[in-house]
Amino acid sequence: MTVSRATIAVFAVTFCLAAAGTAGAYHTRFVADNCNYNDPSPTSFITRDGSATVALRARYEGYQWAGGCWNDNDRDDSPGDPTEDPNTGGEGPDCSGFTFKVWRESLSEGSSAFDQWNMLRFVHGPYTAARFRRGDGAPNTTISKSAAVRMDAFASDSHIGLVYAQNVDGSDQIIEAKGEAYGVNIWTRTYRGSSSYGAVRRVGWSS
Amino acid sequence: MNGLPVPPPAHIATVLALVAGALSGIEAFALAGAAAPEARSDSTPAALEATHLPPLLTLPGEHVQLRFDAFCVGGDESVEQTDCPATGSVFLRTRNRTSTEIALNATADSRGRYLAADVPDEVSSDPSGFSYYAVLRYGDATAVLPPGGEAASYTSVPLERAVRVDLGEHSFGAARPPDERVAAASWGGGREDVGLEQGRTQTPIGASGFDVDPTGRVYVLDEAHHRVLEWPRSASHPSRVPVSVSGTIGDLSVGPDGSLYVLETSGGESGKPLVRRFDDGGRELETVVVAEQTASQIRNGPDGPIVLQQPAQQWMPIMPSGVPAGGSEQRRLGRTARPLAGGRKLTVFRTGDELRVALTNGSGVARAWRIVSGSSLAEVQLAEPLGNRVVVVMRVYEEGRDEFVALVLDDTGLVRQRSIAPNDWAETAPLGRFRLAGGSLYQLGSSSSGAFVDRFDLGVKP
Repeated sequence: MTVSRATIAVFAVTFCLAAAGTAGAYHTRFVADNCNYNDPSPTSFITRDGSATVALRARYEGYQWAGGCWNDNDRDDSPGDPTEDPNTGGEGPDCSGFTFKVWRESLSEGSSAFDQWNMLRFVHGPYTAARFRRGDGAPNTTISKSAAVRMDAFASDSHIGLVYAQNVDGSDQIIEAKGEAYGVNIWTRTYRGSSSYGAVRRVGWSS
Repeated sequence: MNGLPVPPPAHIATVLALVAGALSGIEAFALAGAAAPEARSDSTPAALEATHLPPLLTLPGEHVQLRFDAFCVGGDESVEQTDCPATGSVFLRTRNRTSTEIALNATADSRGRYLAADVPDEVSSDPSGFSYYAVLRYGDATAVLPPGGEAASYTSVPLERAVRVDLGEHSFGAARPPDERVAAASWGGGREDVGLEQGRTQTPIGASGFDVDPTGRVYVLDEAHHRVLEWPRSASHPSRVPVSVSGTIGDLSVGPDGSLYVLETSGGESGKPLVRRFDDGGRELETVVVAEQTASQIRNGPDGPIVLQQPAQQWMPIMPSGVPAGGSEQRRLGRTARPLAGGRKLTVFRTGDELRVALTNGSGVARAWRIVSGSSLAEVQLAEPLGNRVVVVMRVYEEGRDEFVALVLDDTGLVRQRSIAPNDWAETAPLGRFRLAGGSLYQLGSSSSGAFVDRFDLGVKP
């Protein structure tokens, strides 16, 4: 628990510094009123089906830069937050926080254990999209883009999204936290072929 | 017993608990393309969704397996521990046979758990092909693919006389420059600028969609500024048409009457896609909610605009004969082949590093091609008839670089081939980067300074 809070604090400070000068007076109380800091539930395995279920629960919810807490009412409870401001207290994950939670990762970068985070648990995790792309951390590894399948990810230096399904024309359906104006949803994307993106896999799927 | 790894005891207990919950009489949702429920809570039982990659074009003697991925949605968060324990059947039909039901078997591989049915060889080898739809179940929840059911069944056709085109390994870096830049705008907020969404520290999005009419007039959807910029042929400055769009990486199609159709990929309630129709002055005429949860492109069909929708993987009419279609009608009329003028249809199917293309008419496959690449193939950006030929634009890639390749195909095989630089600094509608008009190919591109539309001569007459 001490480690968790410390990591969160460091992460929050990092984002606060990055966003210095951009934070406005706009704040919502979604996180304050709804979210918790409970310990995750350790599990002994992870399945692609199970992770898809975690991801689908977040669909239609909001987007919060550096966020990681959402409910399941199929709407953004804090629409119109200023972008790139981690202090607005709004609903939803950002792209890397979404991936961290769907992949049940640990706050400890050296651990590839499976931690199940409740959707109302506010947690982002230590990885940015760029770090996921590099395969940083024990749970993450880069793979060939042509090998990416359901619940693997395509990551660039500024964004990451998870493969939900492939399309007959060679594009992919991606489930992702796209941005404040978009929230979390499934869209057709062409990340697989784009040179801006690489493929990343969570290690340890049991099925 | 069914190929699945032996689940841990907690796994079994969770599945049993879920099944018990589903049987307790509490309402479950059947999604698979249906509207999302108004709201859910942790205590709501699971719903079911499914995806499927239909084997639209097969080769003689090729074994065909139908594979479905099922997703349990909602319910207690303990469901996140489990595989989705759906079951189901697929209903097959050939031209001369009655319908055959085959149970879907649960199995698993490195791609996860899935449901599968092997198509009997006598069915998959039928020269007329076969059609099918699937019904998946979990408790009281049902998912049907395609969502239009039997009326909109998937069709799989064997290509008995496909012309093979071997592209070999792609030579990156040999793209030729365009023949003409027909439109250009800087990023910014000025009268002739195009707006960037999301700023420069997130993925930039801008000039999300475009179209070109037969006169060469270029239309660019500047969704950040809620307008369409129009460049008449040879004009250096655009005119502006305000349109009330909300963004979301929209695609654009200009109808034969000058109507502007904008596909907003998540503009509606609960994130559903929308199509908005505007007249040439920007007055909004209609708004139609798209049936499926995801929509990737809008094009002109022979009877009005059509939208490619997922997870159905089907083209669905939005306003057949000018009348807005409801969700059930869209699904019922869904087809995997794109309808063309004159009753023809065009089917595209990428499998691995091979692309299969078929032009069909009322009597079956009229022309077909197998395009085999020595480099990895990503998405097909464009497939359009050009007289007796077909033009295809697809992306080839390797780790760290990519290019588009334009092909002109006829009865003998490959007529022309041209590499095109990706020019995709900003994100656009995913399958909206190319258009074919008046025998020329157009590309919507961007750099860090702005967006532009380039024209490429294909070297063939329409």
